[in-house]
Amino acid sequence: MSLRLPRFRRFSLRLLTLLLGLLFAALATTYLLVSRANQSNALAHSEQNLELGARIFDEATRQRVEFLARSASVLSGDYAIRQVLLAEHPDARTLGSSLQSYTGRVGAPVIALFDSDQQLLANSDIAMDNENRGPFAYLIQLATRDGLPQASGFAYLNRELHVLVVVPLYAPYPEIAAWFGLAFPLDHAFAQQIKNTTRLDATFVSTQDVARPRVLASTLPAREAGLVAQAVRDNHRAQNRLGILELSGERYVTLFKSQEMLGDEPVAVVLQRPLSAELAQARELENFILLISLAALAIATVAALWIARGVSQPVRVLAAHTRLVAAGDYTQQLDLRREDELGQLAAAFNQMTLGLAERDRVRDLLGKVVSPEIAAQLLRSEVRLGGEEREVTVLFSDLRDFTALSEKLPPAEVLALLNRYLDRMSAVIERHGGVIDKFIGDAIMALFGAPMASPDAAGQALAAARGMAAALAELNRELVAEGRPALAIGVGINTARVVAGNMGSKTRLNYTVIGDGVNLAARLEALTKETVYQTQVITSEATVRAARNAGPVRALGNVTVKGKTEAVAIFAVEA
Amino acid sequence: MPRSLPLLLFALLAAGAPPVRGAGLQVNLIDGKGAPVEDAVVSLVPLDAAPLAVTSAPPPEIVQQGEQFTPFVTAVQAGSTVVFPNRDKVLHHVYSLSKPKKFELPLYSPGQAERIVFDQPGLVTLGCNIHDWMLAYLVVVPTPYFAKTGSPGSVALTAPPGRYRLEIWHPRLAALLTSELSLGEGGVTPLDFTLQLKPDRRIRRAPGAKATGY
Repeated sequence: MSLRLPRFRRFSLRLLTLLLGLLFAALATTYLLVSRANQSNALAHSEQNLELGARIFDEATRQRVEFLARSASVLSGDYAIRQVLLAEHPDARTLGSSLQSYTGRVGAPVIALFDSDQQLLANSDIAMDNENRGPFAYLIQLATRDGLPQASGFAYLNRELHVLVVVPLYAPYPEIAAWFGLAFPLDHAFAQQIKNTTRLDATFVSTQDVARPRVLASTLPAREAGLVAQAVRDNHRAQNRLGILELSGERYVTLFKSQEMLGDEPVAVVLQRPLSAELAQARELENFILLISLAALAIATVAALWIARGVSQPVRVLAAHTRLVAAGDYTQQLDLRREDELGQLAAAFNQMTLGLAERDRVRDLLGKVVSPEIAAQLLRSEVRLGGEEREVTVLFSDLRDFTALSEKLPPAEVLALLNRYLDRMSAVIERHGGVIDKFIGDAIMALFGAPMASPDAAGQALAAARGMAAALAELNRELVAEGRPALAIGVGINTARVVAGNMGSKTRLNYTVIGDGVNLAARLEALTKETVYQTQVITSEATVRAARNAGPVRALGNVTVKGKTEAVAIFAVEA
Repeated sequence: MPRSLPLLLFALLAAGAPPVRGAGLQVNLIDGKGAPVEDAVVSLVPLDAAPLAVTSAPPPEIVQQGEQFTPFVTAVQAGSTVVFPNRDKVLHHVYSLSKPKKFELPLYSPGQAERIVFDQPGLVTLGCNIHDWMLAYLVVVPTPYFAKTGSPGSVALTAPPGRYRLEIWHPRLAALLTSELSLGEGGVTPLDFTLQLKPDRRIRRAPGAKATGY
């Protein structure tokens, strides 16, 4: 399959297409690259954000634990709790109510008190009973075993996700008299707080029942949170997995973080950010690039048109001018005032026009000086001295008594009359395929069959002679009407093999024929002066024979002309 | 004279006077680094004989002075009375939440000297409700044969022949160290123990507070 490039009839369109095409390709590539870079940047940035979000989640819970632990240590120095604990069997209800007052002080919704055997002594929350003792007991054992000043972890209290911390009640330090157990729920409010800090959507999903994950808290609407839970079911083994999750048509960059629980299946902490939010800034840039691109294209269009006009306008002028020159008008000169190549072209063109005009003038002149056929032959081939032998019919004509006539008339009138006569005769000769070889004063030498061969040169010459007689009669009627003297001519025609070609010097030459046959024609013309023949056109037997149809001729007998030994049969050409 | 009694007791025991019928026991305590262990209470609890009555010696004192308890560790026989004189210029509020004896001496003034009887053996940790850093241990032992180590880290005990449970307590010991033994007539049996002590976790006084001698 061959690629077919569009063809343009106009340079401007071509330039425009090329320029815009290149620019468009460059801009489109840039746009695409920027767009792709933005996309991957947004993704990378989102991932960074998510990882940061995960750290912030950890840090937030850690700080919460820290805060609770510090609060608890303040509580452990509290007067009142010791007073109550001093009793042989501390009253659980009194302890519970004092813990309740602590919840207000430290902002922990759940505070419990355990003895050193992890038995629940009292509780701030009636709802939090012995059933929730397990994770606290575990933490107390852990802290006791490792001598830790506190221990914390994630656990469910009444099926809700909580961060737990246990802190000893010292009496005094480092003697542990009891343990405070504090808990803080990781609920919707906490998720919202994470979102406020990180701008990430947070969802906590319980995987206690792997088949049916439970949303513990979320900043997302219930439906989307449910979808997240389903995604967790499909990914619940993944640790810190990053991915794209589509929720209700919005693509979220999502981090699944696994949060270890005390003695339970891990909770999935799912942090998300809509990709569109991350891309928003990039979109702005892309739109800006788009705008710049369009502006650049528009400017390029104008610029290309301007440049194209700058080039094609003079080209069009040149083309128009060329058409003028082709039509033969060399009078116009191009006027392109430019320094560039087009200016040079215009100058060259003008020179060429001048050259052409010169040549044309020469050709015109040549046509006038020599006959058009000779001129054509001269122009066609290289002008060279030398000739060829060929059969030619030569016609000589001469005005009778012209010398006497010219003495009666003023020279200008003589010339005018002569030109008028020659013009008529030339026209007749040329009409009959003859070629004027030269004018010799009032005489005309014409060739038939040279330089262009002709199948019936002799016939044409005879016809021309009859035509000349008719034309002269016509001219004489006009002259008589003008009150001028009538003219009389004599014509001699002979057909012979002669030498035809360019004769003369190297710098100046003529196309002509020479030979005895030429002389004979001249002699025959001279014979018409003899009144005995009573004709103005005499031709030789050779011509009569050569002509296809010689027309009416009258035999005049044999004659031996001057300079010839052999007699020649001659004929008068009748009208 | 906070340490006068244990020192005196130690001196008497070390010198072998007054003459007591029975056998001597020399217990040497070092920690993991080989340093002598001070403030350890070593006691011999008779396994066969009934515990002897409390000797009518002058009751030991746990003084509050310079916002500290002195001495840090006190050992008494169960049933003994301990005096808590306040020799400071500020009020104190001595308390204990320990099982053998829960008690408090709510806000009592300088010059007062409360007396408390400790009849249950065990460890009584003393604190002050006002001054978090104040800490003292009272080791109540069910025997008259006990002593506290001084800086050399050793004690000498004399007890009648018989079977005993040797108990060693120290504030930085994770649990009571016990060992059964029999004592014969006369002589001094040396016993060496290496104690695995936890790091000292006592809190320092709150910054800005001024220690007034110790």
